[in-house]
Amino acid sequence: MTPISVITGFLGSGKTTLLSHLLRDPALARTAVIVNEFGEVGLDHLLLEASDEEVVLLEGGCLCCKVRGDLVRTAGELLARRARGDAAFDRIVIETTGLADPAPILQALMTDREIAPALRLDSVIATVDCAAGGATLDAHPESVKQAALADRIVLTKTDLADSSALAQRLRRINPAAHQLTALHGAVDPSLLFNASVYEPRLYESHAHSGEVTTFCLRRSEPLHAVTLSLFLQVLAEHCGAKLLRLKGLVDVVESPGRPALIHGVQHVFHPPAWLEAWPDDDRSTRIVVISQGLDAAWLQDLIEVLDDEVTACSIS
Amino acid sequence: MSSHKTARLARVLRGALRVWGVAASVEAEAQGGEFILRAPSMTLRIVPGWLVFRDGQLLASHAGLPGLLRTLRQELAPGFANGRLIIGSSL
Repeated sequence: MTPISVITGFLGSGKTTLLSHLLRDPALARTAVIVNEFGEVGLDHLLLEASDEEVVLLEGGCLCCKVRGDLVRTAGELLARRARGDAAFDRIVIETTGLADPAPILQALMTDREIAPALRLDSVIATVDCAAGGATLDAHPESVKQAALADRIVLTKTDLADSSALAQRLRRINPAAHQLTALHGAVDPSLLFNASVYEPRLYESHAHSGEVTTFCLRRSEPLHAVTLSLFLQVLAEHCGAKLLRLKGLVDVVESPGRPALIHGVQHVFHPPAWLEAWPDDDRSTRIVVISQGLDAAWLQDLIEVLDDEVTACSIS
Repeated sequence: MSSHKTARLARVLRGALRVWGVAASVEAEAQGGEFILRAPSMTLRIVPGWLVFRDGQLLASHAGLPGLLRTLRQELAPGFANGRLIIGSSL
């Protein structure tokens, strides 16, 4: 499967500068880029120093709300061109518009039946401008969501302003994301890509920013597979857009020694991936929830009630 | 139903109401695990099983909590933007 990454970040936060720098790195030489620009005439793609054949421009609207179909079609065409031998790439990177909500983009990449089986969602990278980032977070909820959904947060323009307060605020919004700094777009690509859903520090997350709450649900006893399914169903159905992202390792009764790796963006989930073994000595279920206003104690109680019901049905 | 489980279920119901932005109270009966849910315009009585009554009339019956929550949300927060679980491609 081809890894696909999404670079998001508010207008002027340095997405194109970052991408342009990354594409000069030999490690990313075989990268196809899909650029989405908001406005009648796209310009950002002209700033990218890469083969024209592997840079595709989506114009005329924001990726998240207008041209999602175009994104899916474009990614499909890239894959088809490669299959015909007309393009050579090992990775796809999407640069969103500054106004884009990444969630529907991720959902489209996870669910479209034409492209999803050929793609592996790698990392979501958010750029945040140290000079204007704080004010942007105050004024634009899209920027908060971009940071909340990211696996990696790249602080840009660190030469223009002190980044410490902004970095702390971003850590409260998304403590699970790795923070990096980029001066004029320079950052080590190995720190941005190949993000794993399983990262131990992810499960130490707990923070509350007023805008976004991140916490880790833990359970020492294994869960029934049906409980897990019902839990995800309840979250998807009853929490609406309050659930931003969920990742976890689940100890399942029916699969001893082989935990389920779960990953969802709002109400869209990957099917659980069954690991061959636990990645560390901790055998407990750990589910990280990034949300807007959901309560950890409520979700912990919800799991217990659902598992009680499932256990009662299993016994009777 | 034990008092511990009754209290936990009451917390789950209250938590769901908070998520949906519904101002309502949930009172758990000491015996039998019944719940009285008082919203501004209605009172629901929930009997383990789960049977939901409004004004003495049976409104819905469910085998499990997910169905019960669906009925409560539809009754109390019909405007809430609910979702639907979608399973995408493999990791």
